[in-house]
Amino acid sequence: MALTAIDIYKLLPKTNCKECGQPTCLAFAMQIAAGKASIELCPPASEEAKEKLSAAAAPPLPKVTIGTGEREVVLGDETVLFRHEKTFYHPTAIAVSIRDDGSDEEFASRLAAIRRLSFERVGQRIAVDLVALRCASGEAGRYARAAAAAFEATGLPLVLFAPAGPLAAAVEAVAPSRPLLVPTPEDLLPAAKLAAERKLPLWVRAGGIEGLSVALADARAAGAVSLVADPSPETPRDAVSLATDLRRLAILGRVRDLAYPSAFDLGGGFPDPFLAAALLVAKYGSLLVLDSADPADLLPLLTLRQNLFTDPQRPIQVEAGVYAIGTPSESSPVLITTNFSLTYFTVRGDSEAAKVPAYLLIADVDGMSVLTAWAAGKFTGESISKMLAECGIGEKVSHRTLILPGMVARLSGRIEELSGWRVLVGPQESSALPSYLRRLPPAAFLPVHG
Amino acid sequence: MSVTLPIPVFPGRILEVTLPAGPGGTPVTVGGQNALPLLPEGEHPNAPAVGMEVPTGTLELPAALAAAIGPFAGDPVAMARKCAGDWGARFLFLSLAGCHPDGGGLSVSEGAAVVREVLSATPAPVIIGGCGDEEVDALLFPAVAEAAGRPVFLSYAEEKNHRLVAGAALAYGHGVVAWSPIDINMAKQMNLLLADLGFPPDRVLIDPLTGGLGYGMEYTFTIVERIRIAGLSGDAALARPILCHLGDAWKAREATDASEEAWGDVGARGPRWEETTGLACLGAGADLLVCRHPSSVARLAGAAWR
Amino acid sequence: MVDGRGAIRFHPEGIDVPFVPGESLLAHAIRGGVPLLSPCGGESRCGKCRVLVSGGTRGGEEPGTLTRAEIASGIRLACRCFPTEGEVSVTILPGSRPARLAAYLDGTDLAGDEPFLPLSRAASGGVPLGVALDLGTSTLAGTLVDLSDGTVLSRATADNPQMACGEDLISRVVFAEETTGGFELLRGRLLSGVDGLVRRLLETSPAQGEITDVVAAGNTVISHFLYGISPSPIRRPPYHPVRKEYPIVPGETLGTGPATARAMWRIFPSLGGFVGGDVVAGILASGMHRQEEVSLLFDVGTNGEVVLGNRDWRIACSSSAGPAFEGGEVGCGMRAYPGAIESVRIDPESSAAEWTAIGRVRPAGLCGSGILDLCAELFRAGIVDRGGRFTSRDGDGRRSTERGEAFVVVPGEKSATGRDVVFCESDLKSVLRTKAALCAAAEALLAAVGLPREAVARVYVAGGFGNFLDLRSALTIGLFPPIPLARFAPLGNASLAGALGALRNRRRWKEALSLASGTLYHDLSSDPGFMELYQRGLFLPHTDEESYRSVLAAEVRVYP
Repeated sequence: MALTAIDIYKLLPKTNCKECGQPTCLAFAMQIAAGKASIELCPPASEEAKEKLSAAAAPPLPKVTIGTGEREVVLGDETVLFRHEKTFYHPTAIAVSIRDDGSDEEFASRLAAIRRLSFERVGQRIAVDLVALRCASGEAGRYARAAAAAFEATGLPLVLFAPAGPLAAAVEAVAPSRPLLVPTPEDLLPAAKLAAERKLPLWVRAGGIEGLSVALADARAAGAVSLVADPSPETPRDAVSLATDLRRLAILGRVRDLAYPSAFDLGGGFPDPFLAAALLVAKYGSLLVLDSADPADLLPLLTLRQNLFTDPQRPIQVEAGVYAIGTPSESSPVLITTNFSLTYFTVRGDSEAAKVPAYLLIADVDGMSVLTAWAAGKFTGESISKMLAECGIGEKVSHRTLILPGMVARLSGRIEELSGWRVLVGPQESSALPSYLRRLPPAAFLPVHG
Repeated sequence: MSVTLPIPVFPGRILEVTLPAGPGGTPVTVGGQNALPLLPEGEHPNAPAVGMEVPTGTLELPAALAAAIGPFAGDPVAMARKCAGDWGARFLFLSLAGCHPDGGGLSVSEGAAVVREVLSATPAPVIIGGCGDEEVDALLFPAVAEAAGRPVFLSYAEEKNHRLVAGAALAYGHGVVAWSPIDINMAKQMNLLLADLGFPPDRVLIDPLTGGLGYGMEYTFTIVERIRIAGLSGDAALARPILCHLGDAWKAREATDASEEAWGDVGARGPRWEETTGLACLGAGADLLVCRHPSSVARLAGAAWR
Repeated sequence: MVDGRGAIRFHPEGIDVPFVPGESLLAHAIRGGVPLLSPCGGESRCGKCRVLVSGGTRGGEEPGTLTRAEIASGIRLACRCFPTEGEVSVTILPGSRPARLAAYLDGTDLAGDEPFLPLSRAASGGVPLGVALDLGTSTLAGTLVDLSDGTVLSRATADNPQMACGEDLISRVVFAEETTGGFELLRGRLLSGVDGLVRRLLETSPAQGEITDVVAAGNTVISHFLYGISPSPIRRPPYHPVRKEYPIVPGETLGTGPATARAMWRIFPSLGGFVGGDVVAGILASGMHRQEEVSLLFDVGTNGEVVLGNRDWRIACSSSAGPAFEGGEVGCGMRAYPGAIESVRIDPESSAAEWTAIGRVRPAGLCGSGILDLCAELFRAGIVDRGGRFTSRDGDGRRSTERGEAFVVVPGEKSATGRDVVFCESDLKSVLRTKAALCAAAEALLAAVGLPREAVARVYVAGGFGNFLDLRSALTIGLFPPIPLARFAPLGNASLAGALGALRNRRRWKEALSLASGTLYHDLSSDPGFMELYQRGLFLPHTDEESYRSVLAAEVRVYP
């Protein structure tokens, strides 16, 4: 919403009556500004207020869904141009293509290759989302059978690239799976009618923004509602430019007639498809179709997507665990701090500057700094003792001495009590680590017997 | 119906910074634009420039890299010539990692000698990277600043050592790469601190710390976008060219591990990993990229549209 | 094992405290009521609980905090020192004893030309008296009023005895949770501190009578302790207080001493876990809730509360700024009592420092306003750079100390302790963190409602700097957002002023209740933009320095 809380507040009754569930009208205004509440919740609001705020609250870029159930793909529904302004909600959907004119073995083998484009990274599954079926045969029956087989084998929603006849046949075969219909520009109207009848999403292809303006209007006139817009760029450069135009039209311009998720077919001889795909993942591409099923291409693209579509407001964290500074031995000091990335970088840098090999334990506290994590109860005697027992540091060092950040010296007794480790209180400021570490008596790190 | 495209107009312009070349070489100028990257709007007098890293010291190259640069990597002069020549790098990043106690134990004077040799071997613009060890760098930067026979850029100055690095650069007419750990405020603070020392703004590049794909790249992406937007919106201390060193991409398992069959051929995947990191940086607004693999140079230069 | 005497003797009072095995000397002192400074609440962070020990003890020889000479002469940190055997005798060193504040009561009076409408009618016997209290985290302050005509009879201050169990509120909550009997101990100390203050008020009053009403303003944690409610929920998500409004009860229900046992106690309502009745009282005193113009109110103290708003709406938060301006966390910091430097100037050529100290005696340290001035002067003189680090100028009055390089404010031969009064980089870092948090809190509130800084017509400043506050110094280091100096209105102890106002005019009490219910509590810890604003503030005066330049014009010199 472009309106600030104070702008919204001015439209409210200002009685603090609490009917909306908020303690004051200002609180309610802040909720509306954040998109977390609707003006409907305020019965005494004026008609003018309701009108103004409902209009402003309508999403600038509508949502389009393809497929159903667990594999459903959601496009659009974005509110900002840059992820740091809030976040991007729906990752660029990636489809890998298959043709219907090969042998059964080729077909099956290609489907298997597509199924293998599914990887696990940092505890999340990243995978190709859709199968794009190209009608190379021209035969309706063959195409329809291929569609059914592709869906059966992969379970992934389909993107059906076909002329009118085969398209209709395929729809008969796989309509419940909610495929995306991709007619040729000449066949737009019959496909739009089909999409309208069957309530399926439709890919509208035209030349440039002006062309799309007409084509989208035609599709809407035929009754189709769920649309994605393909401005048919010829180079990666055009693609980025047009994707940006479409996104700006929706979010900045609020031009409803052009506010649709964007779609790009980067196969079929499109120049530099990998380059285009990478840039479009970063810049406003909602759905991409690729002809390559090479994991060397897809893994980086899927990783890029995974990275860019995380919520930037989560604090930067590093992975918790045991980190080595230099080459530590079993009598090297053991330090501990939190996994807020700035804390990690600072402490790590200062430890390295000390030139004293050591182990640095990084505790998982949802990316908070040391004091914040302590105050929030996430960095406690209990949690630290638990980490000492579970992270495997006991196998790496023969002593049982832990150096604690000075800011939480108060935890030392509890840690000693619970873990049996001895605790030394380190400096309050990480910048004092070099002199602290250098002055440590080696006797502190003698092996513990038994 | 005619559609009016909502194109933002920015009041600011990114300062032009030139990396000077030796006699007969081509300097690299970046910056000068008043619009966002990769789009045909506003003025973009200079395209982003792609350079390559010239390593020193003991190297453990992943297979994909070794295959491409192995024969040259052990000899900085040969490597420099190959990068600037056949491989098309517009500038060189000479990394003195060999001077790190764990990196090959080159002495400071040996590091300075390498600098002299490389600078005479090719006229390409050069950025010189320290070894990363605070104590060695404290001696290395001044030595290198003196040894360099022509103006170069020193990488990098950070909050803790900026007086030393900027001092060495000022004394000998070099530029400085100002580094901050993925924090827009620290990036700005660095430029303010340098200005307070009297360092000319058109000899400063911003290095926001580039995380490799899958390992923090999105933080870099966002910071680069934010720095660029702030600079274009009128914040002079941030209206500077941005340098992204893609080396971190090679720390990823996915870039180097040949054992996972499902991941495809590592010989293709490794360079792709670096390339993808670079493409994201270009999309965010990077003006200079440093790569390690020759194929990345061509691929990224192809995307470095004006 | 300690010998048959079974007790530790504390000097100079000569107090014997029964020996409890496993307890530190500090814990013994607290239990025995021996006055010993421990701002960090025994958490081994502040290094201020120095004692001279003879007899069998172990521990307390912190090499990072005590010098070799100190350790050799028998000085230990009481929080880390445990008695083991033989007779143990402990002498509290002079620097480790808490002391009284000089003047802490310059609150603006609310009375003005308001009608006098006291809360109660005349007492059964004698003159009806009222007490207004500010129950601060570090300091208790009170005013005694003749309720028959509104005259102020006496004023007094005292340290909050809870300090020994923790300088900041979270430490006290933790103490209450983790130490056996901790909650009762903290509650008891608060009550005894209040009783002692009331006694002083009566002793120094020209008129006697019967206290019929008490109006008290304290933050939420303190209000909970007073009412016997455990403040633990405040520390855990969702960080809500157990209650925000406190019933009006006679003092004996709370357990106060005889002087106020029959008086009716009113405690200002809280706004949230970390913004309490003291802020509500401050808003009342400022009058911002009656104006159309939008104002900011800063309560500069450990909790660093900020309020933004006007008569229609208000929003408040706590920045947990830290005690740097109350003398905590800064090596040479002290509270505003005699010996505290309250104003500093540094000659940019010679780097020599000139100062004025409270009481015109030899200086022992710096209070909040002195620390503020010092930081501003160091920056103006180019002795520190924007990041708060010493620059590389020579002849700067600097020397190296155990805590790193430091600027000598007062050389030993001129100081009260005979030791140099020094200020090092980590002290400046503490100040930077405090001021960054406070400034960022105000910016966060403005962002939360969507107002630009220019919309703020007035800035009220309340808090414990001491006697006064140099606004130019404040803006030189960026303690407040860059708002034109003319809009600032220092209030002194606004919480006490608000309590006093409510005591003398019952309409004010109702006004306080109503303004509290219309003030929104904003939790900064869940505000995603706060950390970034904070990071921006960790620079002198700020990362967005352009705006400060125009507000201060020639005041800030950039280091050439």
